[in-house]
Amino acid sequence: MIPLNALLQTAALPPLTQPVIVGVAVAYFVVVALIGAWATRSTRTARDFFVAGEGIGLIPLTLATMSATLSGFAFIGGPGLMYSLGLGAMFIILPAAITNTMSAWVLAKRMRLLGEVRGLITIPDALRVRFRSPAAQGLSALAILIAVIGYMATNLLALGLVIDAIFGTGLGWGIWIGMAIILGYSVAGGIMAGVYTDVFQGSLMAIASVLVFYYALQAGGGVEMTRSILASDPAFFGPWGKLSPLAALSFFFVFGIGSLAQPHVVHKFYMLKDPRRLKWYPLLTSVALMVTLLLFFGVGTATKALVVQGELAPLMRADDATPTFLLRFTPVLLSALVFSGVAAAIMSTVNSFMSIAAAALTHDLPMSVGKRVKNELRWGRMSTIAISILAAVVAQASGTLVAFLGIFGWGLFASTLVPALAVGLNWKGATREGAIASIVFSIVATLLLETLGYLKVFALPTGVTVSGISLAVSLLVFLGVSRATRGGAGSEIDADVRMVMDT
Amino acid sequence: MTPRRLAVIGLVGATISIVAAYGTAFLPGGATDFGALLMVFGIATMAVSLMTLGAVRDGEKLGILGFAFAFVFIVLMGGFALAVMLPDSDSATTELFLGLPPRAAIVIYGIGFLPVLVLPIIYAMTFKDRTLTEEDIARVKAAAAAHAALQGPEDHK
Repeated sequence: MIPLNALLQTAALPPLTQPVIVGVAVAYFVVVALIGAWATRSTRTARDFFVAGEGIGLIPLTLATMSATLSGFAFIGGPGLMYSLGLGAMFIILPAAITNTMSAWVLAKRMRLLGEVRGLITIPDALRVRFRSPAAQGLSALAILIAVIGYMATNLLALGLVIDAIFGTGLGWGIWIGMAIILGYSVAGGIMAGVYTDVFQGSLMAIASVLVFYYALQAGGGVEMTRSILASDPAFFGPWGKLSPLAALSFFFVFGIGSLAQPHVVHKFYMLKDPRRLKWYPLLTSVALMVTLLLFFGVGTATKALVVQGELAPLMRADDATPTFLLRFTPVLLSALVFSGVAAAIMSTVNSFMSIAAAALTHDLPMSVGKRVKNELRWGRMSTIAISILAAVVAQASGTLVAFLGIFGWGLFASTLVPALAVGLNWKGATREGAIASIVFSIVATLLLETLGYLKVFALPTGVTVSGISLAVSLLVFLGVSRATRGGAGSEIDADVRMVMDT
Repeated sequence: MTPRRLAVIGLVGATISIVAAYGTAFLPGGATDFGALLMVFGIATMAVSLMTLGAVRDGEKLGILGFAFAFVFIVLMGGFALAVMLPDSDSATTELFLGLPPRAAIVIYGIGFLPVLVLPIIYAMTFKDRTLTEEDIARVKAAAAAHAALQGPEDHK
């Protein structure tokens, strides 16, 4: 059984210190800084800082969603996993064919309209107004905050590894330099800077992925790539790859249904200027994601084929698949673009996390106890700095601890938010008690089971993950408690919220 | 029974099915093909139930959305079930379909690609009539104005 922490980048990359790669990376960081400086001038209120003034168009929404969805894993860890697991690794990204349309139907419209009716800026805001419950807001904000710190730490560690590989800074400096760059544009320009750097970063990722896919087909020999792998390792192209059926399907479940609960992605629905623009959102986002994920499949498969054809020595570590392939089989300028694309993917994810964590700290937690921060913009900026420093400190902890925290965060997002948010916004039978019970269950179960697993007190059988179990049982708790408390005060819904749910 | 009611029942059934699928992994000998099929049923039913809850309003019929949801259910159930049940006979001489052996092609092209040709298109086709009408937007603007007038907007400085 592949542990979920294999999905996280925690080991060093091969050195990439070449003039072209360094030059492209520097140029990339300069462009990001310029966008950040431009966005800073447009950020005047907390609404600008947290939801881009509800003023972004469809293309920025699409590219920002795609960029935030994909972390560096799509470029480094994913192809490595494909190389080692075969088709089984694809079950992480296969759900992309349905998830964007599903999230458009389930969340996009309702969140965007609810945001307009009530002036909401965070995911926990939506839970508060849906369930008339500051407790639901506070608990979900707490879960998001805990999850984000761990998840940001894993992404900062990955960024540190990339910067170290390109500039030779050492891992520690790589983490802090990477964090400082993201912080620079995030603190000043907030999510506005994040969205427009995402547009640049997403475009870069998509172009680089298509070009690399072309080189992968060329290097592997097209159809011969498949035949050579089938001749030496037919399990690679088995329907589950080298995973058990349940393990592969569990990936599909967690990454498919769990996609409805990625706060850094879902939060972006508030930002759309005109909700009518949602019409083409699923198509554009699905195509953008699929194009960008070509590298995941192409490099993993081509590297495997090149190894079995004797063109490449077997890799010491699966994560070397992308760097090894790029440096050997693509022009150096393209590999430089991809390595900048890896940094781009990580930075766009971290920026989104910074925004939602700062909002949880300065907006949701105070509101849940009946307080309001007077100047949310200033405190939002200060919180962003504090959270980023904390995440960078955690990132410097041992690799296994960071990986553990990342996985913990991943599962917590899904089990906390899928029931209360995705189901709750669409089912009037859901109750406040059901929402709170499922959120509390998610926090306790995920923390307890992941910690016991980390301490090796127990091991789950093949195919079973804490994330999957927590998500499924949390849904049962939500549905069961809502059924049991139906008709009470917790079932009441404000008229305007009901109107949005009926829309 | 209305589509929304059916979707809630489907969601409950899907969740139980997924929990049961995980449960089979704890049995002696580990997870079986039956456990995998329970998971397949759970995933397909949950996805379709959630989409139905999100897309269909109270009192509405499914209409063309029924085609989209049935398509997704069939692709997921049928694709995964074929992957479970087709014989494991891939070799260097296996006939390839668009560069992949048959079972891999079902997974990649069938489950991973086919829905993109249908779902977003139907979403766009039905958007103005089913998802967000001009009347909806007018109602939302009126509600936002009423909320702002009564309680003041939740201003964020």
